[in-house]
Amino acid sequence: MQDYVLRTNQLSKTFRGHRALDNVNLSIRRGSIYGFIGQNGAGKSTLIRLVTGLAFPTAGSIELFGSSEEKALIQARKRIGSSIESPALFPHMTAGENLEANRILRGIPGQDCVPRMLKQVGLQGTGKKKAKHFSLGMKQRLGLAIALLGDPEFLILDEPTNGLDPMGVIEMRELLKTLNRELGITILISSHILSELHLMASHYGIIHRGRLLEQLTATELDGKCRQYVYIKANDSDKATAVIQHELDTADFEVMQDGAIKLYNYAEQPSKISSALFSAGLEIEKFMPMGEDLERYFTKRIGGDPHV
Amino acid sequence: MYNLIAVELFKLRKNRSFWTLLIALTALSLAYPIMYYVDHQSSGEPQFTGAEFLVTFIASNAYAIKFGAAALAGFFISNEYATGVMKTIASSGNTRGRLYTAKLTGFAIGVMLVSLVFPIVSTVEVTLLSGFGHLPEGSSEWFIPRVLGLTLLYTAAFAAIGALFAVILTDSGKTIGVSMIFFLMIDIVLSGIGSKVEFFGKVYDYSIFKLIGEIGKPSIDRGDMPALLLVPLLTIAVCAMLGIVVFRRKDIK
Repeated sequence: MQDYVLRTNQLSKTFRGHRALDNVNLSIRRGSIYGFIGQNGAGKSTLIRLVTGLAFPTAGSIELFGSSEEKALIQARKRIGSSIESPALFPHMTAGENLEANRILRGIPGQDCVPRMLKQVGLQGTGKKKAKHFSLGMKQRLGLAIALLGDPEFLILDEPTNGLDPMGVIEMRELLKTLNRELGITILISSHILSELHLMASHYGIIHRGRLLEQLTATELDGKCRQYVYIKANDSDKATAVIQHELDTADFEVMQDGAIKLYNYAEQPSKISSALFSAGLEIEKFMPMGEDLERYFTKRIGGDPHV
Repeated sequence: MYNLIAVELFKLRKNRSFWTLLIALTALSLAYPIMYYVDHQSSGEPQFTGAEFLVTFIASNAYAIKFGAAALAGFFISNEYATGVMKTIASSGNTRGRLYTAKLTGFAIGVMLVSLVFPIVSTVEVTLLSGFGHLPEGSSEWFIPRVLGLTLLYTAAFAAIGALFAVILTDSGKTIGVSMIFFLMIDIVLSGIGSKVEFFGKVYDYSIFKLIGEIGKPSIDRGDMPALLLVPLLTIAVCAMLGIVVFRRKDIK
């Protein structure tokens, strides 16, 4: 059994002189949920399109399930389910007909998978309603159902939670986690909702301006996200003065509401609290916390927060 | 390959533009003979028989074929780029060559069905109104199968050109517009240039655009038959190969 479902080697793609992907070496382990993070135009969709065979690399190579030869790659794509950019649907067909068309396309025997998939994504009651009349959330669900046809080993989803309501987002997350946990499906998921990715991804890849900046596991990310103590005192000016003089550190941030994020002494919160109490400050909130993925990503790409 | 053709036929069955085209052509094919029938009845002229109608008006079917090929190329093939369905198809784990061949097959079958509407519906209607009559002198019992067979063959050739435009242009509006202009203007352009440059005259003489007018002739000389068969077959082969080459190199957006 191969350890990796996908590996790219110095993968590059140039569009009319613009380097959309620049020597990307990405690897996705079997059984992982890989959160692919990057700003708009960073190269996420370009990489996904190269992997799924919609576009061709300018340089470098792709290895799917251990194969990188052209014919083997085409065959390997039969083991992939994907929903890229926006759900690809026949607008004049019902949900069932859309699935049926894709079932025939993929050569899946028996029609029983169609109602099963509709039920799995919660579209079993759509009847004769045409896909063009679906809400964006329903289209996303149908796109996922199409991707899941044929029990793929590797699922590639580009912004799958776009247009979903909060309950839909939760359901989608739980469904993907279940598919990963119970069926062992490897998932590559790109999303702008980093907090959502943080709740399910086991691995991350950060791409910026066509270059893969970093790949790390969820554990490594947690280790890298800085710990801090969140402090809300009755007098933030006095509190900052105490931190600067009594604790002798400038490694903190003052938020707009006067709350303070103190990055030093996170392992010794009692030292902070006694310094603040000794200065006669009333403390409204005092919580040890960690940085989130969003903050780490922003820092990693150099401060531009537009994911 | 079977499943790729099967899905194209499934999509064809569900394609509203295809059914609209079939229904509109059927309505026109029913209305056209009736107008002649009423006109001839009021003027006292003898009515067309089914055979006479077929021989006289089969050439007009070329317009239905050209329009059908252009419209379906846009709505059946290019539209899949706009809806994103082409992404699912292209990433399904099949070679681009097989995908294009299956798409061309499904599309050609659709246009072939369109091409049969006028000759069959009108001829049957006129036959019901005035009887079938006699085939023109010199024609054999193979006349009707030959006309319908060649109609299908030439339609497939026009479909191959339409599919080539669709895969190059990838936009339904552009595909329909460019194909229509091409199909309508190519006769004028080639015959015009051909009258001045002999080479182009020969090209036009041995093109499907000119030869489609020959398929309704009551009798065809033995010597003309190979060209009548080979030209559409070569057109299909060349356009299909070009289409595959283009589709294999194309990034799908």
